[in-house]
Amino acid sequence: NHLQQGIWIPHCICAMISQFYILSLRGDTIITRDFRGDVVKGTAEIFFRKVKFWHGDAPPIFNLDGVTYVFIKKNGLYFVATTCHNIPPAAVVELLTKMAKVFKDFCGVLNEESIRKNFVLVYELLDEMVDYGYPQTTNTEHLKSCIHNEAVVIEAPKTGLNLPQWNPRTVPSNAVHRPVGPTQNDSKSKKNEIFVDILERISVLMSSNGFVINSSIDGSIQMKSYLMGNPELKLALNEDIMVKNMDLGGSHGGYGSVILDDCNFHECVDLQDFSDLRTLSFYPPDGEFAVMNYRITGDFRVPFRIFPFAEQQAPYKIEITIKVRADIPEQNYGGNVQIYCMLPKTSASVSTELAVSAGQSAEYLASEHRLVWNIKKFQGGTEAAIKCRVTLSAPISNIQNIKKEVGPVSLTYEIPMYNVSNLQVRYLRIAERHKSYNPCRWVRYVTQSSSYVCRF
Amino acid sequence: MKHVVMPPSIAITLHGLLSTVWRFSASNPIFAAQTGPSATGRLPSVPSVITGGMVALRQKQNDGKFFQTTKRGEIQELKEELHANDKQKQKDAVKKVIANMTVGKDVSALFADVVNCIQTDNVELKKLVYLYVMNYAKAQPELAILAINTFRKDATDPNPLIRSLAVRTMGCIRLDQVTEYLLEPLRRCCQDHDPYVRKTSAICIPKVYDINPELVDDQGFIEILKDLLGDGNPMVVANAVAGLAEISQTCGRDLLELDKGNIPKLLAALNECNEWGQVFILDALATYEPSGANDAESITERVTARLSHANPAVVLTAIKVILKCMEHTENPEVLRMLAKKLNPPLVTLLSSEPEVQYVALRNIRLIVQKRPGILASDVKMFFCKYNDPIYVKLEKVDIMCMLVSDRNFDQVLLELKEYASGVDVEFVRKSVRSIGRVAVKLERACERAMNVLLELIETKVNYVVQESCVVVKDIFRKYPSRYEQVLSALCESMEALDEPEAKASMIWILGEYAGRIDNADELLESFLDTFHDEPLMVQMQLLTAIVKLFLQKPSSTQDMVSKVLQCATEESTNHDLRDRGYIYWRLLATNPEATKRVVLGDKPSIRDDSQYIDKNLLERLSSELSLMSSVYHKYADEFVTRLTLTGAGEDKAAAEDDLDEEDRQASRRAAQEELERGPGVRNGADVGGGLDLLDLGGVGDDSPSRASASAQKVQVLPATQAGQHGQQGFAVSAAFVRQRGTANLLMTFSNQSSGPLSGFAIQVNKNSFGFAPKEALVCPDILPGSSADVCVPMAAGQLPSNTPPASPLLLQVAIKTSLDIFYFHVQFDLSTVLLEDAALSRDEFTPIWQRVGEGGQKVTMINLDRPLDAETLKGRLQAENICYVAQRQLDDGSVLLYTSAQTVNNCSVLSEVTVSGASRQVKVAIRTEAAVLIPLYEAMLSKKLAG
Repeated sequence: NHLQQGIWIPHCICAMISQFYILSLRGDTIITRDFRGDVVKGTAEIFFRKVKFWHGDAPPIFNLDGVTYVFIKKNGLYFVATTCHNIPPAAVVELLTKMAKVFKDFCGVLNEESIRKNFVLVYELLDEMVDYGYPQTTNTEHLKSCIHNEAVVIEAPKTGLNLPQWNPRTVPSNAVHRPVGPTQNDSKSKKNEIFVDILERISVLMSSNGFVINSSIDGSIQMKSYLMGNPELKLALNEDIMVKNMDLGGSHGGYGSVILDDCNFHECVDLQDFSDLRTLSFYPPDGEFAVMNYRITGDFRVPFRIFPFAEQQAPYKIEITIKVRADIPEQNYGGNVQIYCMLPKTSASVSTELAVSAGQSAEYLASEHRLVWNIKKFQGGTEAAIKCRVTLSAPISNIQNIKKEVGPVSLTYEIPMYNVSNLQVRYLRIAERHKSYNPCRWVRYVTQSSSYVCRF
Repeated sequence: MKHVVMPPSIAITLHGLLSTVWRFSASNPIFAAQTGPSATGRLPSVPSVITGGMVALRQKQNDGKFFQTTKRGEIQELKEELHANDKQKQKDAVKKVIANMTVGKDVSALFADVVNCIQTDNVELKKLVYLYVMNYAKAQPELAILAINTFRKDATDPNPLIRSLAVRTMGCIRLDQVTEYLLEPLRRCCQDHDPYVRKTSAICIPKVYDINPELVDDQGFIEILKDLLGDGNPMVVANAVAGLAEISQTCGRDLLELDKGNIPKLLAALNECNEWGQVFILDALATYEPSGANDAESITERVTARLSHANPAVVLTAIKVILKCMEHTENPEVLRMLAKKLNPPLVTLLSSEPEVQYVALRNIRLIVQKRPGILASDVKMFFCKYNDPIYVKLEKVDIMCMLVSDRNFDQVLLELKEYASGVDVEFVRKSVRSIGRVAVKLERACERAMNVLLELIETKVNYVVQESCVVVKDIFRKYPSRYEQVLSALCESMEALDEPEAKASMIWILGEYAGRIDNADELLESFLDTFHDEPLMVQMQLLTAIVKLFLQKPSSTQDMVSKVLQCATEESTNHDLRDRGYIYWRLLATNPEATKRVVLGDKPSIRDDSQYIDKNLLERLSSELSLMSSVYHKYADEFVTRLTLTGAGEDKAAAEDDLDEEDRQASRRAAQEELERGPGVRNGADVGGGLDLLDLGGVGDDSPSRASASAQKVQVLPATQAGQHGQQGFAVSAAFVRQRGTANLLMTFSNQSSGPLSGFAIQVNKNSFGFAPKEALVCPDILPGSSADVCVPMAAGQLPSNTPPASPLLLQVAIKTSLDIFYFHVQFDLSTVLLEDAALSRDEFTPIWQRVGEGGQKVTMINLDRPLDAETLKGRLQAENICYVAQRQLDDGSVLLYTSAQTVNNCSVLSEVTVSGASRQVKVAIRTEAAVLIPLYEAMLSKKLAG
């Protein structure tokens, strides 16, 4: 017994992934690479069968006959790693995520067709990213120097996003489907531009009287750089920004200052000037990356308030009214707002009445007992309301009982050019500027719903 | 390491299908070289056979080629293109070859042609060829050697990319011949001036170690790797750390040897290397024992900055380092500060993708149990979002229950109530159970929880009511004689109960509160009619409840109690139920007053620790935070199937046996506690099985000497059966068993003829295992009317019949006597051919188990003569030479035994035996590469275990 002999074998990572593969949603193996040869063959089929027939969502990590499977699902593809060792699963999940991103950076778009068309490039990338199962680098910039294959460009699929055209100066950065590496039709001059997104995802839980029970913002500053010569950039945030977990100097924000609960930064970011000037400096790597992620849980003005009412009118009839108010500046609007509400299982027929019908629609999905209400464009400072008359197949004794079966009301939306936290990019500069060097900078703010729920 | 190599003849019989291949291979030397491993049952790969053709290509071909097969045409076409002078064409051809390779077509026939393209200055083409060589070197070792010179040349190329490419690829070709040639370039590349080459070389050393550990040791590569720890380039350091950690784990020695000398080097590299390097370095740092508080604090200072890294693996590993350092700090102020620093990054992990959230949540459970102060005020962060996947929701609810306190229980209960009115059944059940856990944990929350439960029961949703019923029972158990207003609501919804656990709980409540429920007798009686249809768990509770009722209302329930006692003792076939029935019966008959004190006495209080992890396991897991074991909440040995070197492996096995003993004790304690608690808090273990009232299963242990004790001979030749020449009067009983390592044919000859018998000789017919007598039959003359016992030791592998064994196993025997020659056959069990002490180690077990897979598995239920616990069963199996390999305790209390058995001709039969509590059945999953043995193995088990 070596423990008694005083020999201590550290319990640490003693290997990493054994196999990697990309599967289509039908289970076809598109890419497969065995890094260590210590896991049996044929695990791709075993994996697919298991996940396919899992009751509910399969957890991202599971063990089957001594083989651990870790996977993520992205763009209609499974990225799977297997191992038979005690390895750090968070690292594997992150590795798979980064791999997907690198493939996207190099192929332009990430889907089955692009991976199939670029399989040689993908294998080349794989061997540079992972050696003997150990991740080496997933940095697009570093990879570019040792990759020789050129990407076969695939036409980007039309995104389902049917947002109305807003400011033509802003282009959504994820609409840029251009490979970072050399491509076969590289003759077109490269555009010198950089895209910055301040993206905030809002989670809110409200009670029926509009009181906010729980709320949080998950924010991220995303960047995609096509700058020539990879210059150093300086990105300045609000001067009064505070981070609870850090001792920052400078002005201690008073009323209205942005207070972050926590934040983290991309590894390229130099934080030297952050505490004094609230400025981040970095050499942007090629491809898409998150400069900074942050989290806010304090009080903030929730962009939409929901007021639901339920009223009993006869033993078989109830009336449900939902009012929604957009608490955002008048010049902003919520795009593609969808409001869902669960109705009682005993609902026999449902009729809806909209206060304003232009640009709005409502329907009742009987199979799911769900009311769906769409508002194409929800202008700031306005209100919208729906009345919904429900005839039930069974009588109800009192309204309290039926309230249990109605709701919750949930909301999905996207608000362009607005962010709830008020975190701002004061400027984005190239550290040493030359006259001739004048790149296009695209900065946009987007607020999205994550889990936006109001209980009855 | 025991290879499963069978004598060829047996292999032919066992794998009848293979026999043709075998013969073919003998006449084809190249083939024979490859066929070696096929003795294990694998078919040799046949070069140039390609399955499936390409329709498109076929259409392209002109009519003249119509009769040529497409496959052949394609290979030929590629071959020509590979030899083209145009580099672009060559490159395209290699790409096509690789395309075929990746979709699973066999293009190994083109090996020589592809390798031909390797000498090129075009890096892109070179990389393609390398990719191909890596994939097929194993199938074409002779040809792979041809590429070696190019590899060696490339390892000195002026371009660092090519140098490292050569080293990387050579390391991936897992052939001894190649490894030898790799040593010298590898040594040189470890000192290369380019860090990219050094980093590739560093990770190449564990590759070589995996192929040939002695070589790495002898050639001093371990020292080289240690030197690389001090390299100036952080990525080289990170790979050296990873390499040393892996080799340490394999060889069982700590090679990292972290001390005050090299820690600063690692800390310096930590700040500069990329995220993956940081993960490896942090992980290594977490194994370092700081020398004191100052040392610990200085490490913490350097590591804290990593908490705001965007990579969750870096954050989790950094947390592990800090938690480790906290163990060496006693200053409460410092500890409080550190704990506070850990909260935000942990919560931030919950904003990542659900996959990362899941990992984080599983780790948070460990952290919260280990350091209860952390996250204590953040319970709100664990409230479920409606769009969380179910696996995240279930984890969050568990953590909510761990963080619940007098300050926040209102909020938590309100949340749980919301979840309990949701749609996902699994999640709803979990939420209801969690309400119960909150109540059992916090007395102050109990009132509120009861109200919530009452509301839930009133919804009349079937599974909510059933789940609530179980939960209410737990609460009654913890807080007796309170909240009785729930009773009426429960009694009203009794009709809805159809799940055993809910029913059992309801019956327990009825018995416990029989004095306060007016019609308790009627309600209980309604169950009595269907007593024998109920699951054991319900029967047990019904028995106890009616006895309790009788003690409280003796006058009106006399009939009922005698009926239930009769049902339990005379009509039931279950031991536990009968035993419990008898005990009550005797108690009641002897001293009713004392019975009251026993049955209605105060029961020990219950505690909810179902979500808490055993202390030893917790210690181990918190040192392995962020690793896979921290997600599974299991010892790594239970799921890691790594092949270790024999020496270390044995040590490990010994250590694990100690652990197993502890586990067993723990499980016994758990059973004891369960007994004391009565049907109180369930932890999922009592589903399907009742309580073992006096732990009778463990007593009366069978000594494992059954087989070696005298075997039961059966008559194989009656005196009335005539011999070869028509003579009668010779009778034989025989048994063919294994005794002390030898297969013995035991026979009793009896002479029922008129004259004495002499001149005995024995012969056996050819048989599947090739048994033949080791020595001549020695038997004294037998007088008429008397008999003699003889024992003939048999040796296997002497007289093979080259047919697979049939079920039952028979040995055909001929005995020559002075009277006549008599023929008979002796039936025997598989255990006769199982070797002693042939237990496979875990490391040998797993590959076979996996190779056979679920596809080749046979699952069977074996009825036992009585319930057995795992220990007894282990003994009984051992007696049949079915050796114990490992065991595992399942969450529901049942134990999985893994066993191996090896036949005299080296076929292994593996099995997984599931023993669950008081059940009289065990589930056996059998896996073997010799499928013919399965029915024999099954027959043996059911015979030996059914007693």
